[in-house]
Amino acid sequence: MIMICPGCSCLCDDIYIKEGKVFNACRRGNEIFAKYKENRAVARVDGKEVDVDTAIEKAVEILKDAKNPAIYGLDTTVVEAQRIAIDVAEKLNGYIDDNSSFCLGELVEAVLKGEMPTTTLDEVRDNAYVLVYWGTNPYHSLSRHLSKYTYYPRGKKRPRGYDEDRFLVVVDVRRSETAVLAKKNARFIMVDDDAELVDSFVKVAEGKAAKYAKDVGVIINEMKRADFNVIFGGLGLKYGLKDLNQFKEMVKKLNEVAPVYFIPAGFHGNMRGFNETLFERVGHVNKYSFRDGKSGEEFAFTELLKNEKIDAALIVGTDPVYSLPFEVSSKLGKIKTIVVDPRMSFTAKIADVVIPSAISGVETGGTMVRSDGVRVKLEPLEEKEVNDVYILNKIKEGL
Amino acid sequence: MALNPMDIYKLLPKTNCKKCGEATCMSFAFKLLNREKKLEDCKPLYEDKKYERQRKKLEEMLKPLEEATETGLIVDESLCTGCGNCVVVCPVHVEKDPKGAAVGNGPTIDDPILRVEDGVVKVINMQACRRYGKNRVLCVVCRENCPSDAIRFLEG
Ligand code: SF4
Ligand code: SF4
Ligand code: SF4
Ligand code: SF4
Repeated sequence: MIMICPGCSCLCDDIYIKEGKVFNACRRGNEIFAKYKENRAVARVDGKEVDVDTAIEKAVEILKDAKNPAIYGLDTTVVEAQRIAIDVAEKLNGYIDDNSSFCLGELVEAVLKGEMPTTTLDEVRDNAYVLVYWGTNPYHSLSRHLSKYTYYPRGKKRPRGYDEDRFLVVVDVRRSETAVLAKKNARFIMVDDDAELVDSFVKVAEGKAAKYAKDVGVIINEMKRADFNVIFGGLGLKYGLKDLNQFKEMVKKLNEVAPVYFIPAGFHGNMRGFNETLFERVGHVNKYSFRDGKSGEEFAFTELLKNEKIDAALIVGTDPVYSLPFEVSSKLGKIKTIVVDPRMSFTAKIADVVIPSAISGVETGGTMVRSDGVRVKLEPLEEKEVNDVYILNKIKEGL
Repeated sequence: MALNPMDIYKLLPKTNCKKCGEATCMSFAFKLLNREKKLEDCKPLYEDKKYERQRKKLEEMLKPLEEATETGLIVDESLCTGCGNCVVVCPVHVEKDPKGAAVGNGPTIDDPILRVEDGVVKVINMQACRRYGKNRVLCVVCRENCPSDAIRFLEG
């Protein structure tokens, strides 16, 4: 059976398991399939083991009593569960946020609003010539990005693949593992200030002098040779620039001289799914307050927590105790916390209520959205009844 | 840590005595690296006490040959992230598997040279590698495109 890997937003669709071996998944993806039975969560209320229904009832009770509840996480679950989570947030008149508020949410939002032309990874494989990896090192977190979709595969209009039919550009603050691959037909630009490079692209496109004119000149000339070029933007781009508008302007300017598309580099398996689902509902991709009817920095889960604005949190499929700085995550101890997770995460260990769930893509199916916006249907290896959809539905009904 | 025939040659007796079946010590060095000869084939090295130090050095140097596949390709699994670059770039795969590895997917042929299993690359059919056998060419494509230096070749 051919499976889809939920390990990252590449959602690779060629994974299979035979005689106990996992084929084609990268190291990160393999962990999910090979170790899914390990470290499983058990239903708990106040540290005592209970059955799942009791844990769900207790969760409902906490949420009903809360004055300022927030829902957080949801990047590794399916769209179907994300929708119900948004319903729950709405019913509670509370806050909802995912990891994208400190990841690539802003870039996804720009794409969803049509502020930059975008395309799919399948189109990239078949047509793209210049590939720019800006502020991202897919090596660790999106391991197969280059081999499956961009630089290495041979495509319809790029039959010789990386050999001759692609031009790779890597922009980073250090010589990353991806930068090392930029050898023949390639450029690596080490930047201290991304804004200066953005500025150089704009100036050179206008025929003016600029700091990075030499490299940028070569890249723009290569772009002009093709009818399809693409920029993948990552965290380095987001944090390297104070103002994303400058970057959007640059993409516009480049499109006056050659077709250049933009795709967010990538993230957790279904982060883009969360962004799109919330966007469809309220016109924003993350950090949303139903009470205020708007999105804002102050509604990011980390800010709410830091400023002690919430008294209860429903945390789905993410581990803030592990991933957030201690001065932020330690505040979880002061509020009521409900964790819905397949694994006994660090956060689950300190939570008031733990509801064990199924692993999306392995024990339950559903829809996820790839980094480029393509919707993918996941089929599970085995079906587990108590999954995120079941749990969130029960909570919704209970409210 | 690439091995080269010159370094091996320097430690051989350099007498061109032909006892190993080769015309020169230099050609013996080449065959050693290609695993067509074994160090023991150089009789003087073992029989004459004065070569003992050199012999020990050679044995040390040639140790990695034992862990390498016959093409001289060594994968360090602890470094491999399973990115699949090597699988997709291998020219043999591109030719034989136009719908699989050539377009970025996992191999769809039964006997690929390299395949990602359990998250890391495994060498499963080295006979198909261009570095193998009589008409070998010194292909380095997979190593050149490995982001983590997980692939090495004995000869460098
Ligand atoms: S690149 Fe991502 S989706 Fe593909 S196998 Fe690795 S973790 Fe899974
Ligand atoms: S047997 Fe040893 S010394 Fe004699 S030719 Fe061969 S390598 Fe040289
Ligand atoms: S050396 Fe060449 S032929 Fe052999 S596995 Fe590597 S890329 Fe393929
Ligand atoms: S290119 Fe290197 S890291 Fe990637 S799969 Fe091959 S050996 Fe592993």
